Amino acid sequence: MTDNHEQPVLQVEHLDIKFNLRGKVLHAIRDVSLELYEGETLAIVGESGSGKSVLTKAFMGLNDSNGWVDHGSILYQGHDLARYTTEKEWLTIRGREIAMVLQDPMTSLNPLKTIGAQIEEALRLHQGLRGAAARQRTVELLNDVGITEPDRRRRQYPHEFSGGMRQRVIIAIALACRPRILICDEPTTALDVTIQAQIIRLIYDLVHRLHLTAIYITHDLGVVANVADRVAVMYAGDIVEIGTSREVFYSPAHPYTWALLSSLPQLGKKGEELYTIRGTPPNLYHHITGDAFAPRNPNALKADFIERPPFFDITPTHKARTWLLDERAPDIRPPQVLSRIQSLGQ
Amino acid sequence: MTKYILKRLGTSLLTLLIILTVVFILVRQMPIEGYFDNFDKLDQAVINARLQQLGLRDPILVQLKDFFVRLLHGDLGQSARYSVGVPITAIIANKAPLSIRMGVISMALSLLLGIPLGAAMARSKSGFWDKFGTVFIVFVSAVPSAVYYIYIQSFGSSLLGFPMLFSRDDWRTWILPVFSMSLGNTAYYAMWLRRYMVDEMNKDYVRLARAKGVKNSEITMRHVFRNSFVPMIQYIPTSLLYTVSGSIYIESLYSVPGMGGLLVDVITRQDNPMVQALVMIYSCIGIVGMILGDLLMVVIDPRISLKRKESAR
Repeated sequence: MTDNHEQPVLQVEHLDIKFNLRGKVLHAIRDVSLELYEGETLAIVGESGSGKSVLTKAFMGLNDSNGWVDHGSILYQGHDLARYTTEKEWLTIRGREIAMVLQDPMTSLNPLKTIGAQIEEALRLHQGLRGAAARQRTVELLNDVGITEPDRRRRQYPHEFSGGMRQRVIIAIALACRPRILICDEPTTALDVTIQAQIIRLIYDLVHRLHLTAIYITHDLGVVANVADRVAVMYAGDIVEIGTSREVFYSPAHPYTWALLSSLPQLGKKGEELYTIRGTPPNLYHHITGDAFAPRNPNALKADFIERPPFFDITPTHKARTWLLDERAPDIRPPQVLSRIQSLGQ
Repeated sequence: MTKYILKRLGTSLLTLLIILTVVFILVRQMPIEGYFDNFDKLDQAVINARLQQLGLRDPILVQLKDFFVRLLHGDLGQSARYSVGVPITAIIANKAPLSIRMGVISMALSLLLGIPLGAAMARSKSGFWDKFGTVFIVFVSAVPSAVYYIYIQSFGSSLLGFPMLFSRDDWRTWILPVFSMSLGNTAYYAMWLRRYMVDEMNKDYVRLARAKGVKNSEITMRHVFRNSFVPMIQYIPTSLLYTVSGSIYIESLYSVPGMGGLLVDVITRQDNPMVQALVMIYSCIGIVGMILGDLLMVVIDPRISLKRKESAR
């Protein structure tokens, strides 16, 4: 949990990331600040294109080469990762310090190499293990991620594994790196619903047993409630609200978080139309004035269109970027439907 | 595996049988004038005697049966017109080794140049090597080979001082024909390897390899290269075998006594036994090439299995 609030393991400050797409500049991450504390699990939620993946890929230098950090810093162990440019610098981070589980297990493994060879590659790079020692460790790792008959399975190829099993292998590869931070980029999106719960459970158990710090990118809010200590809500390349899971779920403060939670299908009642957020996300090629969500927010204040709101602290752990929290703001309450979340949590 | 190969050989044999029968019948539909150098001046008796001697007066099915019976005894027959009375095996044994050696060397050169070029192009996408390679590939595919073959011959001999004509025992005379012969395949391998490698580099497993901290150069060598080779490997035996069967144009340009132009030559001279023998050899080459290509795929890609599939769990 988030007891250790003094020293974040990773600290992002005023980060701006831009991409050059055929001469047009896309402002993908807009002035994001974020602290990640040792041992916590942080979930980043938001709709597609909100910048969740771009933000976390920046921690490992994995964004495409047409993207760059325009401003700000990513502090990790006294180094500013935002200043890293060469492959040599990134190799000190990738896998070794921060590892990643990707979205689609069906395509994330090299089809021509045995899964054992692919795990051993990580062991060789990050733990210097070779030969029998590497094989031994591979068997242990496969065992850890719940693959039976590991000694036989390690000699098999990816096509001999199902999607859920492949995702377990990918988790084993991430663990073979012995990272401090584990980033899970929508690890269950591509999986069968019946397998999703197993994989989430596995990641949750491993993160706690190995005392990893984890970042969980997802748009499945149900997952968030189960695994995350803290939740950051992203919209249009910016974090609009961040707090403990309880705080964000039970007392959300930003209108976008309200809208996001209202669209949970579980909150709907039979016969009622499901809630949808009207409009489309803003175009990130253009400069955004004020609160990016204002044009889609039925209760937007005048101030939302003029000036970007600052973060208002609600509790020491919970803050949101909305003028509604300003003392001059009118009293606008979250939608009634959100009260049903309380009953879901039971 | 053995069962698969036997099955493939069986169907190949059937294919060969059909090809031979069709060719056998086709060459016998040619006008009989073609069998004589001075048809107009010969009287009917001489013509009939000659046709009898060539075995062309029997009913065609009898001729076909005779041909297959002799073939089963390993007898390809004798040349009827190209070099009269000489056993075909002797003619081929004399000409083939040169073409084969030249083909193997030029193929090796194509692989040696084309694969590094393709890999360099993929790695420096839109950088120097990519542009250089693209110019080379476009040049080789767009300009008719006859044109640059002649330029290579004239510049190679006048500027670089290489001998213009081929001589079996002088290695310097091998350089120009082998080099000319390799250009087409070099461009072909470079083009396809670049394309497949660029495809592979955008795959998720490359992303995962980067995320686990593998160097880009190692990703290219250990992950991307082998994957992009899978679709290419299938065609390499076929292209090797066709290369060794000789190149008409280069052999005539440098006066190489190979078997490149042999098939065309014997067809125009209506040397039926030679046509049949060469068609059989070339067909075998094609068929063996395809079988080898498929077997190589199995060796390199574990997803392709010739046995019954064990299902994924």
